[in-house]
Amino acid sequence: MADAQFKKEIENALENEVLRGALGRFGDVYGKSREQAYQGYDFPALREKVVEAKSYAAEHLDEMLDQFEKAATARGAKVFRAETGEDAKRYIVELAKAQKVKNIVKSKSMASEEIHLNDALLKEGFDVQETDLGEWIIQLAGQRPSHMVMPAIHMTKEQVADTFNANLSYTSDPVIAKLVKTARREMRKKFMDADMGISGANIAVAETGTLMMLTNEGNARLTATWPRVHVFLVGIEKFVPKFEDAAYILQTLPRNGTAQQITSYVTMITGPNPTYYPDGSIQDKEFHIILMDNGRRKMYEDEKFKQVFNCIRCAACLNVCPAFQLVGGHVYGHIYTGGIGTILTAFLNSEKDAENPQNLCLQCGKCTEVCAGNLDIPGMILEIRNRIGEKKGLPATQKFILDVVSNRRLFHSLLRVASKAQRPFSKGGPTIRHLPMFLSGLTEGRSLPTIADVPFRDVIKNMKQEVKNPKGTVAFFGGCLVDFVYPKIGEGVVKVLNEKGYKVIFPEGQSCCGAPASYMGDRQNARKSAIMNIEAMNAENVDYVVSACPTCTHALVESYKELLADDPAMLKRAEELSKKSMDFAKLLTILGGLEKGGDGVPLKVTYHDSCHLRRKMGLIAEPRNIISNIKGVEFVEMNESDRCCGFAGSYSIKFPEMSGPILQRKLKNIEATGADVVAVDCPGCLMQINGGADQAGLNIKVKHTAELLLEKHLNAK
Amino acid sequence: MEDLNLLYERFQTKLQNVAGECHRVKTFQEASELIVKIVQEKGIESIAMINSPMAKAMNLKEALSANGVKVFTDRYPETAASANAGITEMKWAVAELGTLVQYCEDVNERLCSSFTPIHIALVQTSTLLPDIMSALITIKNEPRIPGFVGFVTGPSRTSDIERVLTIGVHGPEQLIAVFVDEQVGEGVVNG
Repeated sequence: MADAQFKKEIENALENEVLRGALGRFGDVYGKSREQAYQGYDFPALREKVVEAKSYAAEHLDEMLDQFEKAATARGAKVFRAETGEDAKRYIVELAKAQKVKNIVKSKSMASEEIHLNDALLKEGFDVQETDLGEWIIQLAGQRPSHMVMPAIHMTKEQVADTFNANLSYTSDPVIAKLVKTARREMRKKFMDADMGISGANIAVAETGTLMMLTNEGNARLTATWPRVHVFLVGIEKFVPKFEDAAYILQTLPRNGTAQQITSYVTMITGPNPTYYPDGSIQDKEFHIILMDNGRRKMYEDEKFKQVFNCIRCAACLNVCPAFQLVGGHVYGHIYTGGIGTILTAFLNSEKDAENPQNLCLQCGKCTEVCAGNLDIPGMILEIRNRIGEKKGLPATQKFILDVVSNRRLFHSLLRVASKAQRPFSKGGPTIRHLPMFLSGLTEGRSLPTIADVPFRDVIKNMKQEVKNPKGTVAFFGGCLVDFVYPKIGEGVVKVLNEKGYKVIFPEGQSCCGAPASYMGDRQNARKSAIMNIEAMNAENVDYVVSACPTCTHALVESYKELLADDPAMLKRAEELSKKSMDFAKLLTILGGLEKGGDGVPLKVTYHDSCHLRRKMGLIAEPRNIISNIKGVEFVEMNESDRCCGFAGSYSIKFPEMSGPILQRKLKNIEATGADVVAVDCPGCLMQINGGADQAGLNIKVKHTAELLLEKHLNAK
Repeated sequence: MEDLNLLYERFQTKLQNVAGECHRVKTFQEASELIVKIVQEKGIESIAMINSPMAKAMNLKEALSANGVKVFTDRYPETAASANAGITEMKWAVAELGTLVQYCEDVNERLCSSFTPIHIALVQTSTLLPDIMSALITIKNEPRIPGFVGFVTGPSRTSDIERVLTIGVHGPEQLIAVFVDEQVGEGVVNG
């Protein structure tokens, strides 16, 4: 779905070493610095408070607007409600004309960027000055912000110096401290000459009509200090009901944004303040507040997107995003960048503008983990993807593949044919290192596994299941990779569950879980898979349904219910399946685990958290305990164990240029542990990491936890 | 007093962590001497100052002038823009993160505390509050929330170029908090 121009922009960003340098350095330290900034604070509890306050405000939007307007007006503010960006711009231009304004200073306002306010003011002949250092740099350079909190993170000091030198009458050396001094000197004049200040707000307090701004530089304070006309441009998603609710945002926004405990300045403005007028007298300012909709209400009225009102624009989601860290903000195409930016763009610009950037999301969910508003960003991006898919249809090749996958007989017979047809490329080995022509992208930076000679659905028929004290029956949901590529994982699962007293059946009618269709935006085929598998698994007749692939488990537990919400009979069955389904690591844990045992041979093992297992199912300690319980295993943690490996299903096929560097980083972290084996719980991660390790010639094995148990624990008996 | 000592310690640690300077003295006499010393050490020649109750109680203008420092207490639009330093009095100090709270409806207070390269903040030790939440509640409970409330935690800073922390962009490059235990007036505790 990503068009050629978009691909080209990604390529340019990936080749931009400046961008990768600054973003990379920040990304490397952000996680730990953020953790430090929260030391002694309970982030989940704080964010619960943020969500409580912000979602109350969202649920009572009209009440908030009325309350705020009443309180602010009582204090002497003039409040204007702007339905569109055009309305807001017109109001500000008219105001500036009526007040005979010449020079305008602005402190940071993403809302003003969103509506291109500067252009409108410049066109009318006003002098407009951005005063946030980063914003000023990009204003001089004629660029767009690449990050919500650090707009000029994509530029070097040399580029900043060049930009200054091209615009100022004297030259500045490319020394950061000197460049900052230049900014101070230039801006000081502007602050003194300005007759109008324009500010954005981080928080709007409904009950008191107060606006709050968080800055480090002090420009928001100065903008609010001197000019005789002051305008606030505020999006209607900025409300909190009570003054003290601001505390929760003050405690999270700086920590999440830049890993600071608090910004140097928090400025709270309630009504007009007195200032100097040109005649030397001191009088109240002309004080205006614009409450702007511009697409926000549409978001608020959409059940799936109302939660965006909980966003505090801290940009933590950008800071941890593996894709954003590689390409920076500009490829997202509009003012708002990263995952949350994609969503905002879809509503505040247009769905069409979100079409390309929504592809960049790996669906790894790391953003949700750090989000101060607990937003399901990947979920919303997926929803956008689906809506686009439904409106426009998928490209023919993708559609063809998904149609095949959701047709079990056709798909499975093709896989069986492929296991024979692959021989020229695998040369008899377990992996394919090179593919010819247009398929070569698939084997760039990683090898592909070969399709197994005998799929697991046939293997299990010949397995002797010895269950000593039978406790019940487990239905095994294989999923494509376990079934057709890694049957060994299936063997492990069956033997371990036998050991725990369960017979394992493999219902023949099962097929692909439907996740590929879901993640590519094809709800129709996903739904087909859901029905097929619900009927095949027949959960009503077993004690548990187990899967050794967290993506499949997620489909069984969550997605089917959503896909079939409008079909009461199927929904009931989907709920039954959801209740009984769980991932291997969880099932083994609730069954009490295996007794400590194993071959005792020393083996250093590290663990990679798969995104779905850790963040969708919350399984973190469980797999580690299972592995550590094997005799001989020395368990070591790797750095960034929960960082996506870059596989992300079809992502690695659509964006090998992104997936590749993400995989390389994972391999580096694995290698640094000195482990003999990296254990994983997801066959997709296994395929990705194994392929990368093979091509890089690393001397490390990648194994599924079930496989490790089979080889080192069960077979040791 | 025991509680105040703990709060002060926390405040001092936190403010120093973000490159702010923090001092505490018992009497206004000591405060005046300390500020004269700081001003001389930093080579400050001119100061734009709000003659607040605390500044008056320490006879600060006289003490500084006697030591050859030019102290302006009027014509702020010119003097605050050109002075080496500004002196204003704070309303509260919040121990949690080392935050000073100013009520600045008066434009001159804003000019002296934000346009000057060095800001010397006068604080009554008794105004220490434990945390951000109690500060917000205190402000909300005022008969009327002041039109301009500023939280100040350290000097002005930026990381906008290459993520390198640089002190002193638009606001003061140095922030010096001077806590005084002695109360203005007749030992009325202010909070």
